[in-house]
Amino acid sequence: MSAEVEPQADWEPKIIAFLCNWCSYAGADLAGISRIQYPPNVRIVRVPCSGRVNPLYIIKSLQHGADGVLVSGCHPGDCHYISGNYYARRRFALLKSLLEFVGVEPGRVNFSWVSAAEGEKFSQVVKDVVETVKALGPAKRLVK
Amino acid sequence: MSELEELLRETARQLLAEGSIELVIGYERGTLPLRTTPCFIRDPDQVERLVWNASCENNLATYLHRATGKVGIVAKGCDARSIVGEIVERQIAREDVVIIGVPCQGVIDRTKIEARLDGRDVLEADVSEGLITLRGEGFEETLNLGEVLSEGCVTCHHRDPTLYDVFIGEPSGGAVEDRDEYAAVQALEAQTADERWAYFANEFSRCIRCYACREACPCCYCAECFVDQTQPCWFGKGDDLSDVMAFHIVRAYHVAGRCLDCGACVRACPMHIDLRALVKKLEKDVRELYSYEAGLHLETVPPLATFQPDDPQEFIK
Amino acid sequence: MANGKWQIASLKIAAFLDDLLKAHRVFAPVKRDGLVSFEPIGRGDEALLGFRNSKRSPKEIFFPCSETLFAYQEGEITVVPLLEERRVIFGMRPCDARSLILLDKVFDAPDYQDPYYVARRENTVIIGLGCNRPLSTCFCTTVGGGPFAVDGLDLLFTDLGDRYLVEAITERGEALVADSPHFREETTADVNLKAEIAARAEQAVSGPSVEGVKEQLDGMYDDPFWDELHEKCLGCAVCTYLCPTCHCFDIVDEAVNAQGRRVRNWDSCQFPLFTLHASGHNPRPSGKERMRQRMMHKFRYFVENFGEVACVGCGRCVRECPVNLDIRAVIEAIRTS
Repeated sequence: MSAEVEPQADWEPKIIAFLCNWCSYAGADLAGISRIQYPPNVRIVRVPCSGRVNPLYIIKSLQHGADGVLVSGCHPGDCHYISGNYYARRRFALLKSLLEFVGVEPGRVNFSWVSAAEGEKFSQVVKDVVETVKALGPAKRLVK
Repeated sequence: MSELEELLRETARQLLAEGSIELVIGYERGTLPLRTTPCFIRDPDQVERLVWNASCENNLATYLHRATGKVGIVAKGCDARSIVGEIVERQIAREDVVIIGVPCQGVIDRTKIEARLDGRDVLEADVSEGLITLRGEGFEETLNLGEVLSEGCVTCHHRDPTLYDVFIGEPSGGAVEDRDEYAAVQALEAQTADERWAYFANEFSRCIRCYACREACPCCYCAECFVDQTQPCWFGKGDDLSDVMAFHIVRAYHVAGRCLDCGACVRACPMHIDLRALVKKLEKDVRELYSYEAGLHLETVPPLATFQPDDPQEFIK
Repeated sequence: MANGKWQIASLKIAAFLDDLLKAHRVFAPVKRDGLVSFEPIGRGDEALLGFRNSKRSPKEIFFPCSETLFAYQEGEITVVPLLEERRVIFGMRPCDARSLILLDKVFDAPDYQDPYYVARRENTVIIGLGCNRPLSTCFCTTVGGGPFAVDGLDLLFTDLGDRYLVEAITERGEALVADSPHFREETTADVNLKAEIAARAEQAVSGPSVEGVKEQLDGMYDDPFWDELHEKCLGCAVCTYLCPTCHCFDIVDEAVNAQGRRVRNWDSCQFPLFTLHASGHNPRPSGKERMRQRMMHKFRYFVENFGEVACVGCGRCVRECPVNLDIRAVIEAIRTS
């Protein structure tokens, strides 16, 4: 099941990014408007809040073709729904620790705080994630 | 029959006779050596069935979800903590349960016994004075009880109930053995991701999706388990390793901050899968990150139902 | 040898299996992660001879936990080919072999043949190993079997110490052994020793009689007997999945958009989901109905439909039930109810 497949020379990682509507999605939008270049490997899913992201989405993404996952929300204290990102923070701390404990390579699952004004930061986060996942190769653990 | 058992039976008899409870959930003698079995007693004259010994391995708290009316329950340390958890999570009302606390010396891990016997069939077993004598066709062997206790019991610091209405006998004292309860987790943490994946992939390759782990666990009471959902269908129900691991990862994750290492899951598993590795890791994380231990206080908020503004976040970019 | 009996030295078993491996996939008991299971072996000496019984029953060699029936992609259907390779199972216990006869009644019946199961049955020769030392949890003799019964076997091996007595039960079995150089002529002493061992083993097995249980159950559907029996049952599937005769399954599609596969997975009558209707109604709403169903199916309905009790007394459910809900005690309670 976790077959070691040699990636084709032109393989590009597929990153699923869950971005909260009010901060991170807006930040990504700002990056676009500002014509900041960043790798096109992210597929963005807009959610109302990082706290809305069900940990099962992350696992299912890895099962069904995502080489990496990013979840991004508002900075602590700035959540549009006051505390959604605080709950998310606890949830994801444990999820990330558990996934890595099971053997999912560190760097597959990533989290960030990106505000609506941080277009530059968003592009940098994406660049980092794509680079890390590229080095890890195609997802091979938990792949269905 | 021990003095403790006599006291236990008398307590149960009184509670039933005076009508303060309609049912006592406890343990009675099993049909196999080294087994007891859960029993449900409604008639005060039946309390003679109740026993209390190192074979009382099941976590009876799992039966409280289906109980109606006022129920008495025999509870060792971990079971009582599970009951605290169920009260905190509003699965039962405090006033609907009478906790008959018992001191615990640890429960026997039958897989350790099986390993020692290596295929030999045990026909009789006696436990006394910290020793366990096993008898079968053409053999008799005596072991130290300490050698065959459940791993979780050996390092347990809450052998007596943290919550009870009646406590039978003398308090148990500290852990059976003074060693780090997270040693096995740390050993795994010290390995590489590749090594850990190989270990867990091998362990879970034995899973037959019987859900004994889920059903034995007092925390698993969802009317519809995520794995049974079809709208949406999260994970397949077959033997695809990806789906099997997803089930176990998510089940462990769902009990994060609630699991108190009672060992019911790993004891129920017929395939001897190292389920404790996952839940113990999460227990360690919850303790280190949020200074929380499950099942100690009624006035508590589960760690994932709350937050601190300065929670750790080095993992976030 | 002409009478379908042979002798083989214990030390030659590995060589015999190596020969079989040249033309068959051979399943034998092996120890993996501390548990005994029937798995394909690569070499004859991998087979474990001194074992009691496997944790999981060998029914999964014919009826796997999970099997893909066909796959589809945008209208194109790819059927998974039926089994064609020839297989041998070495070391199956008589109880497990008998369970295949019972499974045949469901999967290879006059009115319906399950092609996946039938192909596997037709392509597999079964070499049994008699039980010199039944476990205290075995009760095969009370449900129509025995430690040296031959139902479902092509060959029966009996451990005589440094050698085995080998008996052909079917022509298929005979063909496997007849030309093999590893087998010698059996002696009268061998046959007598086997008879002795078998008699002793048969004496050692004890369990509840099923006499009259079917008739009792006929009148017990609404009996309060079921009200409390199920209370300690957790509702997991350990008993049903480890049981060699249980055979319920679920067929699901695992698909994403227009591509996916249709899969048959084991299922259990002990799960609430098993009988849950799309409307939300559940005809077996609680553990009480589900426990009643299990007992009725095995000891009443199967008898009505097929003339046999759907239990072979292997004792797996007895040993493995997490709460020690003992089917032997239930049968006894029904009988004396």
